[in-house]
Amino acid sequence: MKVKKALLKDSVKEIKVGYKRFISILLMALLGVGFFAGLRATSPDMVNTIDTYFKEQNVYDIEVLSTLGLTDEDITALENIENVENVYGTYSNDGLVKLENKENVVKILAIDDVNNPRLISGNMPQNSNECVVEEEFLNLIEKQIGDTVSIELGEDETSSEDEETKPFLKETNLKIVGTVQSPIYISREKGTSQLGAGKIDSYIYVPKDNIQSEAYTEIYITLENREKYETGSNRYNKYVEEVKQNIENIKEEREQARYQSLIDEANQKISEAEEEFNTQKQEGESKLQEARNTIESSKAQITQAENEVIQNEKSMNSQFSEAEKQLKNAKEVLNKNEAEYTAQKAELETTFTQAEEQKQSLQNTLNEIVVNLQTVEEKYNLVLEQLKKPDLSETEKSILEKAKAELETNKQQLETGKAQTEAGIQTIENQVTEGRNQLASAEAQIESGKKQIQSQEKTLNSKKASAKSQIESAKAKIEESKKELEAGEAELAQSEAEFQSKIQEAEGKLIDAKEEVNKIENPTWYILDRSDNAGYSSFIQDTESIENLSIVFPIVFFAIAVLVSLTSMTRMVEEERQEIGTLKALGYNTFHIVFKYILYASLACIIGAIIGMNIGFQLLPRIIWSMYEMMYTMPSIIVSFNYENAMLGLSIIYICIVGATIYAILREAKSVPATLLRPKSPKLGKRVLLERVTFIWKRLNFSHKVTVRNIFRYKKRFLMTIIGIFGCTSLILAGFGLKDSISKILPYQYENIFQYDMQVALKTTLTDEQRQNAITNLKENEKITDVVESKILSETAQNGENEEDVQIVIPESKEEIKKVINIIDLETEEKIECNQEGVIITDKLSELIDVKVGDTIKIKDSDGNEKEVKITNIAENYISHYIYMSKEYYENLYQEQYNTNVLFVKDNNLTEDEEEEISKEIIAKNEVSTISLTSNVLKTLDDTMNSLNYVVVILIVSAGLLAFVVLYNLSNVNISERIRELATIKVLGFYDREVYSYITRETILLTIIGIILGLIGGYFLNFYIIGTCEIDMLRFVKVIDPLSYLYAILITAVFSIIVNIFTYFALKKIDMISSLKSVE
Amino acid sequence: MSYIEFKDVCKEYKMGEITIKALDKTNFRIEKGELVVIVGPSGAGKTTALNILGGMDTVTSGEVLVDGKKVSELKNKKLIQYRREDIGFVFQFYNLVQNLTAIENVELATQICKDSLEPLEVMKKVGLEDRINNFPSQLSGGEQQRVAIARAIAKNPKLLLCDEPTGALDYKTGKQILKLLQDTARKENMTVLIITHNGAIAPMADKIIQFKNGKAEKITKNENPKPVEEIEW
Repeated sequence: MKVKKALLKDSVKEIKVGYKRFISILLMALLGVGFFAGLRATSPDMVNTIDTYFKEQNVYDIEVLSTLGLTDEDITALENIENVENVYGTYSNDGLVKLENKENVVKILAIDDVNNPRLISGNMPQNSNECVVEEEFLNLIEKQIGDTVSIELGEDETSSEDEETKPFLKETNLKIVGTVQSPIYISREKGTSQLGAGKIDSYIYVPKDNIQSEAYTEIYITLENREKYETGSNRYNKYVEEVKQNIENIKEEREQARYQSLIDEANQKISEAEEEFNTQKQEGESKLQEARNTIESSKAQITQAENEVIQNEKSMNSQFSEAEKQLKNAKEVLNKNEAEYTAQKAELETTFTQAEEQKQSLQNTLNEIVVNLQTVEEKYNLVLEQLKKPDLSETEKSILEKAKAELETNKQQLETGKAQTEAGIQTIENQVTEGRNQLASAEAQIESGKKQIQSQEKTLNSKKASAKSQIESAKAKIEESKKELEAGEAELAQSEAEFQSKIQEAEGKLIDAKEEVNKIENPTWYILDRSDNAGYSSFIQDTESIENLSIVFPIVFFAIAVLVSLTSMTRMVEEERQEIGTLKALGYNTFHIVFKYILYASLACIIGAIIGMNIGFQLLPRIIWSMYEMMYTMPSIIVSFNYENAMLGLSIIYICIVGATIYAILREAKSVPATLLRPKSPKLGKRVLLERVTFIWKRLNFSHKVTVRNIFRYKKRFLMTIIGIFGCTSLILAGFGLKDSISKILPYQYENIFQYDMQVALKTTLTDEQRQNAITNLKENEKITDVVESKILSETAQNGENEEDVQIVIPESKEEIKKVINIIDLETEEKIECNQEGVIITDKLSELIDVKVGDTIKIKDSDGNEKEVKITNIAENYISHYIYMSKEYYENLYQEQYNTNVLFVKDNNLTEDEEEEISKEIIAKNEVSTISLTSNVLKTLDDTMNSLNYVVVILIVSAGLLAFVVLYNLSNVNISERIRELATIKVLGFYDREVYSYITRETILLTIIGIILGLIGGYFLNFYIIGTCEIDMLRFVKVIDPLSYLYAILITAVFSIIVNIFTYFALKKIDMISSLKSVE
Repeated sequence: MSYIEFKDVCKEYKMGEITIKALDKTNFRIEKGELVVIVGPSGAGKTTALNILGGMDTVTSGEVLVDGKKVSELKNKKLIQYRREDIGFVFQFYNLVQNLTAIENVELATQICKDSLEPLEVMKKVGLEDRINNFPSQLSGGEQQRVAIARAIAKNPKLLLCDEPTGALDYKTGKQILKLLQDTARKENMTVLIITHNGAIAPMADKIIQFKNGKAEKITKNENPKPVEEIEW
C-alpha cells in the first residue's frame, strides 16, 4: 500500500497548494448543505418545538364541544373510549375588560390539568380572586402584575334555557399575579366572540373555584401513548382520527342523553313553574275574588243603607205630611174659627158701631143734655145770680124764681135725661165691653190656637229639618261609601287587569319556556382536534410553507455547487494532465489516479458539508424562527441536529461534487499517457457567429471583439457566470419583491380599499333610539365628515372541508358605503356594489376555500347556525377576509331586522393626536363599545409586516454568498486557465487596469446578461415565494417596485465588484516570467 | 554612453532559505541598432538579464540604462509603460492569444502603443499577408513565430528581445525566423537581442555576449556579421 500512501501524500500536498480551489469547493459544499440542511431542518425543528411545548403543557389531542354544554356523564362515557387517557371537563367564557377607549374581549379560561399555561413571570393564582394573563395583555390594558383587573361578563346568551343564570365568575375583580403563555392561543388570531368588537383580544386564566357553571363548556381529551407521536405527523393525525371516530360513535347517544336530561330538567322546571304559576294564579284569583266580594257586600250595604234612607225619608215624609195635614186641619179650623171670629167680630163691630152710634147718639144726646144742662145751669146760675141780685124784682125774682124753678125742673129733667143717657151709654158700653171681651176671648182663643199651631208647626219644621239632615248625612255617608266603593272597584279593576297581564305574562313566559324546551335542539357535539385550533393550524401551515421553500432554495445552491465543482475539478485535472500522464505511464491504474482527485473532492465536500450542516442547523431555524416569533407566542425554538437531513444533504452534495470530479477526471484519464504527457492544445480560437453579422462586428472596437470571442470560447464559464449572477439577482429581486409585496399591503388595504379613519362599534344592547342618537351625535361632530352605518358579523365561511373566519359587512346603504370602502371587482377592476342575488367575497378567501363566482358557500355563526349564500363577485382585498352583503339580502337570509352595529367614520384629516382625542370623546358616550383607529391598526400591522423583512435579509445574504462564491471561483478558474494569455498581454505592456478590463469586460458582460435574466427569473421566483409563504390572513400584492429592480441590480453589481477587486489583485500578482516559461 | 548599459547588475531569488544569485554583477553595453546574440548554458542568467532588460523583472542591485533611461529604477506603471512603448518580446513558444487571428494578435499590441506601425504592413513585412485572418492554431510554428515577431515589431520598440525564438522550430524555419530578425535589425535599425543556447548562430550578430554563472563572461564584437543564409548548424 505504499502506492496509496504516496498518493495520499500527494493529495494532501495538492490541498496545500491549491487551497483556493479546495476552499471554493468546500465553500460550495458548506453553502449547499448548510442551506439545504438548515432550511429543511427548520420545519421539523418548529414542529418539534410545538410538539415539545404541547407535551410539556399537556395540550389536548381532542376537544369536544357541545352546543348545550357537557356533563360528568359525558366525561365518563368518553373515558371508556379506547386509547383515551384522560378526559378533562373545563370551562371558558368570554368577558370584557373596559379601557378608556376600548373594550377588550378576553377569553376567560379555567386553570386545569390540561392545556397548562406556561408561566412567564409572577406565579400562578392561589386564591379565587387572582388571575394570570397574557404578557401582551398587560401592555394592552396598561397594567402590571399586582394590579387588579375588572372583568365584565357578557350577557350570557348561550345558555338561555337557564333562567337564573349565575354569573360565570364569582369574583370579577381579579388580581393579576402573573403572566403566562397559553398553548392553545399561540397566534395573534384568537377567534371570534359574541362580545365587543367580535374578536377575542386576549385570554385570562382564573382558578376553577372562581367559576360557576351548570355544565362544562368543553371537554379536553388526551390520548394514551401520545408521547410516541409527534404532533402534526401523519401517524399522529391518523391516531387522533381513529379515536375521533370512536367518539363519533357515541356522539349521538350522548347528544341524545344530554338532550333528554336538559329536556327533563327543563320540563320539570316548567312543571314546577307551572304549578307555582297555577297556585299563584289561584291565589291571585281568590284574592281578587275576595276583593270583589268585599266590594259586592259593601255595594249591598250601600244599597241597603240607601233603601233605609229612602224608607226613612218616606216614612218621615208621610209622618210629616200627616202632621202637616193635622196642622193644616188645625189651621183650617183655626182659620174657620178666625173667619167666624172675624165675621163675629165684624158683626160685633157693626153692633159695636151701632152701639157706638147709639152711644154716640146717646153721647150726643148726653152732650146736648150736658150742653143743655150747662146752658140751663148757666141760665140757672145766671138766674141765681140775678136772684142774688138785690135789685131783683120779685117778678123778676119770681119770674126768676119761676124761671129758676122751671130751670130747676129742666135741670132735673136734664139730669135725669143725663142719667138715663149715661145709663144708656153705660149699658151700651157694658154691652160693648162684654162683646169686646167676648171677642177678645175669642181672639185669645184663636190666638192661642194660632200659637199652638205655630208651635206645632215649628216643632214639625224642626223635626223635619233634623230628619232631613239626618237623611242628608245618611245620604252623604252613602255617597261616600259609594265613592269608596268606586275607588275600590277601580282598584279591583286595576289589580284585575294587573293580575291578568301578570298572568298573561307568566303564561307567555311559560309558553315561551315550553317553546324553548321544544326549541332545545338536539345538542350537537363538535369533535375537534388540534388542527381546529387557529394558532396551531396556522403554525403547522407555516411549517409547511417553509418546507416548500426548503425544496427550491437548496436546488439553486446544489446546481451552482455542481457547476462550480465541475469547473474547478476540470481545471485541476487539466492542470495536472501531465502528472496524470506520468502516473499512467508509470503504471498506475485509472482507479488509483482517480482516487487522488476523489479524495481531494471528498475531503472538501465532507468538511464543507459538516461545517455547513452544523451552521445551518443552528442558524437558519433560529433566523426563520425569529421572524415567526413575532406572530406566535411560544417558547424558543429547539434546534437539533437532524441526521436525516444532514445525511441527505451530505449525500446530495457528495454525489454532485464527487460526481462532477469523477466525470472531469474520467474524461482526461481515459486518454493514453502519451496524449496526456503532451501539453493540451489550448482551446482553439474560433470565429463566432456575430462575426458573420459584419455590420455589427465592424462597429465593435478591438477589445470588444476580443471580449465577444472569449465569451463564446469558454462556454462553461459563460454559463456558470450567468447562472450564478442569475441566481443572485433573482434571489435579491425576489427578496425585495417580497418586501414590496408586503409593504404595499397596508397602503392598498387602508388607502385604496378602506378609506375610513375609524371604525366605531356600537353596543349590542342599544335601543333604536339610543343607536340613532349615537349616530346623530357623531354626524354632528364637526371634526367628522362622514359616518356610514353598517352591520358587521364575525362568522366562518365554509366550502366543503375548508373554512375561514370572515367578517361579514352589511352596509346600511350601498351608496353610503362607497364613501368609506371601495369594493373593487378583481377581474374587471371596477367598483361594484352589494346586490340582491348574493354576496361579494374577497379574493384570498375565495382562494382559500376554493370557490369562484357563481358557487355557493356556507356561512356559520359561532352557534353553528349555517346559511348558504351565492357568490356574485370576488373583490380585491389584502388583509383578512370579508364578505359584503346587501341589507336586503341579509334580511331575507336571516329573517331578522337589520340593526347597525358598526359605524365607519371619516374625519377631517385629523392628526393622530386629534384622532386619539376624538376617539376618547366618542367612547365616553355610552352607546359605543369600541373604536379602532385606522392609524393604530396600521401601526400594529406595520410591526407584523416588519417581521417579514427577515425573509428579505435571508434572501439577500444567501444571494450574496452565492454570487460571491460563484464569481470568486469562476474568476480564479478564469485566471488560472488563461494565465499565459494574461502574462502575454502584461508583457506586451498592458497596464494593470487594462489587463483587468481585458478580463473583466467579459465578466461584466456576463454579469449584465445574468442580471437581466435574473430580473426575469426573480420576477417569477418572487411569485413562487409569495405563493408558498403567503399568510392565510394576507394577500400579498403582486407588484415589484421599479426601485427593487434597481436594488437587485446594484447589489448584484456590488457583489460582482467585490469579486472583481479580488480579481484585480490576483491579476496584478500574476508572475509573467514563470507563467510564460512553463509549457502547457 | 551606450544605448544600453548593464552596470553591476545583481539579481537574487530567494527560494525558501536559499538565495540563488541569477545575475552576479553583470556588465555589458549594447549600441543602438546592434543585433546582439546572448549565448550560454542553461542557468547562466541570460533569460534573467533579458527579463530585466525587458522590464519584466527587477534588479536586486546595480543599474540598467536604456536610451538614457534608468530602467532599474522604474516602478509599477512606469515599468509597464517602458514595456509598452520601448520593448518588443518574442518568446520560444510564441505566446499568441489563441482566440485572436494573426492580425488581431498584432493589433493587440498596436492598440496600446502610440507610434505603432500599421499591422497589415508589418504582416506584409513578415510575409504573412495571406494569413492575417487565420487563428494561431491554423498556422505552423514558424508562421506563429512570425506573427509573434510581427506583434513585437509592430509596436515600433526601441528594443526587440527574443528568448530562444527558434527553440521550438525546425532548422529551416528557424533560419527563416533568424533572417527575419536580422533583416528587421538592419532595415529598421532596431536593436535586437537574441538569446540562444545555440552558439552556432552567433556569427550573424554584431555583438556576442557569452554568459556563464550569472556573468557576461565574454563580449565579442563581430565586425563582419554573416547573413543568416550563410550560417549553417
